[in-house]
Amino acid sequence: MAGIFVLDKASILDRLGGDEEIFAMMVDLFVQDVDRNCAALATALASGDAAVLRREAHTVKGLLATFSDEAGAADARVVELRARDGLVADQAAAVAGLQGRLREIAAVLSAG
Amino acid sequence: MHNVLIIDDSDINLTLIKALVLKLGDCSPTLFDHPVAALEWCRSNVPDLVIVDYMMPEMDGLKFISAFRALHGRNEIPVLMITANDQKDIRYDALLGGANDFLTKPIDRIEFSARARNMLSLRTGQKYLADRAEHLSALVEERTAEIREREKELIFRISRAAEFRDPETGAHIQRMAHYSQIIALGLDLSIEQQRLILEAAPMHDVGKIGIPDYILLKPGKLTPEEFEVMKGHAKIGHELLKDSRSEIMKAGAEVAISHHEKYDGTGYPYALKGHQIPLFGRIVAVADVFDALTSERPYKRAWPLEDACKFLEDGRGKHFDPMCVEAFLAGWEHVLDIRQRFRDEEAPQV
Repeated sequence: MAGIFVLDKASILDRLGGDEEIFAMMVDLFVQDVDRNCAALATALASGDAAVLRREAHTVKGLLATFSDEAGAADARVVELRARDGLVADQAAAVAGLQGRLREIAAVLSAG
Repeated sequence: MHNVLIIDDSDINLTLIKALVLKLGDCSPTLFDHPVAALEWCRSNVPDLVIVDYMMPEMDGLKFISAFRALHGRNEIPVLMITANDQKDIRYDALLGGANDFLTKPIDRIEFSARARNMLSLRTGQKYLADRAEHLSALVEERTAEIREREKELIFRISRAAEFRDPETGAHIQRMAHYSQIIALGLDLSIEQQRLILEAAPMHDVGKIGIPDYILLKPGKLTPEEFEVMKGHAKIGHELLKDSRSEIMKAGAEVAISHHEKYDGTGYPYALKGHQIPLFGRIVAVADVFDALTSERPYKRAWPLEDACKFLEDGRGKHFDPMCVEAFLAGWEHVLDIRQRFRDEEAPQV
């Protein structure tokens, strides 16, 4: 389980070549999309379809990595790999954890 | 301006990559969040660079690349595939499956810019080579056309050389050549074959160069011995033209040796019968005789057209190949046009 999210803006900006404009654009999109991404995770879990859950976990992994949340991305990767092995039903807690992480980051970014 | 196609089901990635592409300069991004729609777009549009995510609904990046590469003319277009850091096996599959390079998520601007610029340079090089190849091809075509024109002129002049020693005229050459083309058209020969006979037929009597003047220019009827010498022009023409590398010369040789053969086997020089006679020879026989009959000569008046047509019809299966006569008569309107276009008193214009 990942610890408290701390925004490492410097590392994100470093990856973006110091471009504040792109950073601001990504923050806006992350905050706008957080409900949709959480809902997509819930739908994937409810569907029982391992392939769908794997894809949604993969997407969340990429989002978290984009904001330099390595711990959160690692949790998402665990969900993705377990879904790749066909496991869905027992991942409810892990999925809830990812949803919480997305909202936590959105809150930090919004406060930003 | 480079057209960069970006395919990713994540809005945030699409936006990020679009912004990075715009920062490259001289690029116009086209975005799709669904690979199937992107593939459809690719059927009628040619991107200069494709940036495609791996994991997407319905069609993953590997399948997209495979389908994209299968489209005509899309085999060389650079493709960058986006994968996560932990997907080494996918990266190998992507490279083996047609991707030129890959990007890892989270995307790093420096890495992105370097790889995208490399891919666009590759594309610029491809376009330059393609343009150059097209230019060279056009140049070769132009030069070939020039050579062909020179060859046609040379053939016409060679044919005229023979005709100058003969009462027949340059207009006769043009008319019989065009009549031959009309027959070839009526026989459904290819456009290339129609053009070949048009260009080769003028050489039918080139062998007359080798016939002594006292026979060639004799005003009265030839003796049997003189006629035997005269018949030699078919073989002389063939000797002059045979073994050339030029298709026109080869066809001219065939026409020269066979245009006095008759369908029933009573012609010369080899008394060939029916389809033993080369097709071009059978065609030129009809065209040459018709024009000779309907042209005025110092020693004879021109036959009326009806009489000449009747001669051809009466000669079906005897002197002439019936199919060639039929094709000639079927193109009668063209025959009349050709007679108007190439009159004896005028200098002929091709």
